[in-house]
Amino acid sequence: MARSFDVIVIGAGPAGYVAALRCAQLGLNTAVIDEFLDKKAQPALGGTCLNIGCIPSKALLDSSQQYHYASTGLARHGVQVRDVELDLGAMLERKDQIVADLTGGIRQLFKANKIQWLPGHGTLHEDRRVEFSPHEGDSELLQAESVILAAGSQPMTLDAAPLDGERVVDSAGAMEFTEVPKRLGIIGAGVIGLEMGSVWNRLGSKVVLLEAMESFLATVDQQLAREAQRQLTKQGLDIRLGSRVTEVRQGKTLSVHYEDREGEHNIQVDRLIVAVGRRPRTENLAVEDAGLLIDEQGFIHVNEHCETNLPGVYAVGDAVRGPMLAHKGSEEGVMVAERLANRAGEVNYDVIPWVIYTHPEIAWVGHTEQALKSTGEPYRVGSFNFGANGRARAMDEPVGLVKVIAHDETDRILGVHILGPQASELIAEAVLAMEYAASAEDLARTVHAHPTLSEAMHEAALSVHKRALHKVN
Amino acid sequence: RNDNLSPAVRRMVAEHELDPARIEGTGRDGRIIKEDVIRHLASHEQPA
Repeated sequence: MARSFDVIVIGAGPAGYVAALRCAQLGLNTAVIDEFLDKKAQPALGGTCLNIGCIPSKALLDSSQQYHYASTGLARHGVQVRDVELDLGAMLERKDQIVADLTGGIRQLFKANKIQWLPGHGTLHEDRRVEFSPHEGDSELLQAESVILAAGSQPMTLDAAPLDGERVVDSAGAMEFTEVPKRLGIIGAGVIGLEMGSVWNRLGSKVVLLEAMESFLATVDQQLAREAQRQLTKQGLDIRLGSRVTEVRQGKTLSVHYEDREGEHNIQVDRLIVAVGRRPRTENLAVEDAGLLIDEQGFIHVNEHCETNLPGVYAVGDAVRGPMLAHKGSEEGVMVAERLANRAGEVNYDVIPWVIYTHPEIAWVGHTEQALKSTGEPYRVGSFNFGANGRARAMDEPVGLVKVIAHDETDRILGVHILGPQASELIAEAVLAMEYAASAEDLARTVHAHPTLSEAMHEAALSVHKRALHKVN
Repeated sequence: RNDNLSPAVRRMVAEHELDPARIEGTGRDGRIIKEDVIRHLASHEQPA
C-alpha cells in the first residue's frame, strides 16, 4: 500500500514551502518533495529565492553598498576612513551563512509543523499519484488527495553565449566569483542584470550591460526608468540598449560580439553573466499519461485559483502565468492551501508590488503612466522629489522621487512608483492603500511621521491635487 | 463620527452633511470609498 498524504507539494521554494506551511496549519497531512542540492551537494529547502536568488543577491547588494559607501560616501559625513579594503571571501561567506541560517529555519518550521520533507525528484502520475525519486535509492509511488506543483523556474540560456560554469555564468554563478572581475559583461539589463551589475561595479569591476531591447526597463514607469538609467550610468554601469549578442569567443579573454543599429561590435571581458530572463522548470514534472496541460512556453495551465486541468492538482509560483516574484508565488500557495481546507482564498493580482534593489531602489505597484496612456484611462499625477525631503537629505540620499497616479474622476489610486532610498519598504504603504481602494486624498489626509522618507509619499499624494506643501505645485 | 470611514470619505461626509448609512460602500467588507461618495452625490439631490 502506497504512503498517502492529504497534500503533496512538489518544490520547496517560496510558493511550495509556504503552501506546505499553510496546509499544515490548516490540519492537512503534508509532504514536500524538493530536489535542490546546495554547493556541498546537500538538500536545502527554500528554492531559488533563498538559495540562489532573492536572499543571497540582497546580501551581496547590501555588503557591496557598505564597501562602496565606506570608500566613497563617508567623507561627506565628515568621517575620514583610510585604506578601505575588500575581503571578498568574507563577503561571500557572510552571504552563504545567511542562506544556511534561513534554509535551516525552514527545516525547523517544517519539523514544527510536522511536514514530511522528501529530498529528491517528484513526478506527477495519473490520479494524484506522485513518484518520489530520492537522490539515492529506489523510487516510491505516493498517493495524495491533492497535489500542489511548485516547480519554479530556471535561467534562460542563450545559444550565442553557452554557459561554461566558470567564465560564462548565470545569475547563480554571478554570486560566486572568487575575485572581482576586472571587466564584467552582462547580457540583459533587467532586474537580475542590474542587481548583479551593481554588486560587481561597487566592488571595482568595469561593467558593460548589453540589452537587446531598445527601451530601458520597459515595464517600469518610463519617467522613473529614465531617471534610474541616468543614476546607474553615473555610477559606472555602461548600459548599451538595442544590443543583440551574436557570439562569444573563448580565448585569453572573452570576446563578446554584438550588433546594434550602428552595426557589429565586440568587447573583451573577463567574466560574462547571462541574465536574459527565466523560464518555467516543468520538464520531467509530469508523465505524459498524467495529462497535465502545459503551454508552449512551458507554463502549467491554471485558472485564477491556480487549478490545473486535472482535478485535485494545483500549480503555483514561477511555473504558472503572472509575475515571477517570490511573494506572488507565496500568496498563491496560501490561496491554494486555504481553498483545500474549504476556506475562501484569493490573490489580488492587480496589487502585487515589484522591487529592483539597485541604488537607488525602484519599487512600484499598479499601473504605469505609459500603460494608462495606452488604455485612455483619465488620470492625474502627483510627484515629490527626495531632494526636498528632510530625512532623505539627512541620510545623504537626496536622489529619486515618489509618483502617485490617481483616477481623474474618482481619485482612486491607480499606481504608485518610487525611485529612491528604501523604495522597497516605502511601497508597502501604497500596496495597502490600493488593497483598500484608497484615493489619493486618503493618503494625503493620513498623518505621516516627520522627519521620515514616507513623507515623500504623503507629499506626492498631496501633489495629485496640487496642494503639496513642500514644493511649488 | 464613523471611524470606519477613510480620511477622504470622512471629509466628504462632513462637508456635504451626508449620512454614511445611506451610502452604498463598494470597498473591502462594504467600506465606503471616495468614489462611492462621488457616485452618491451625483445620483442624489443636493440638500439646499
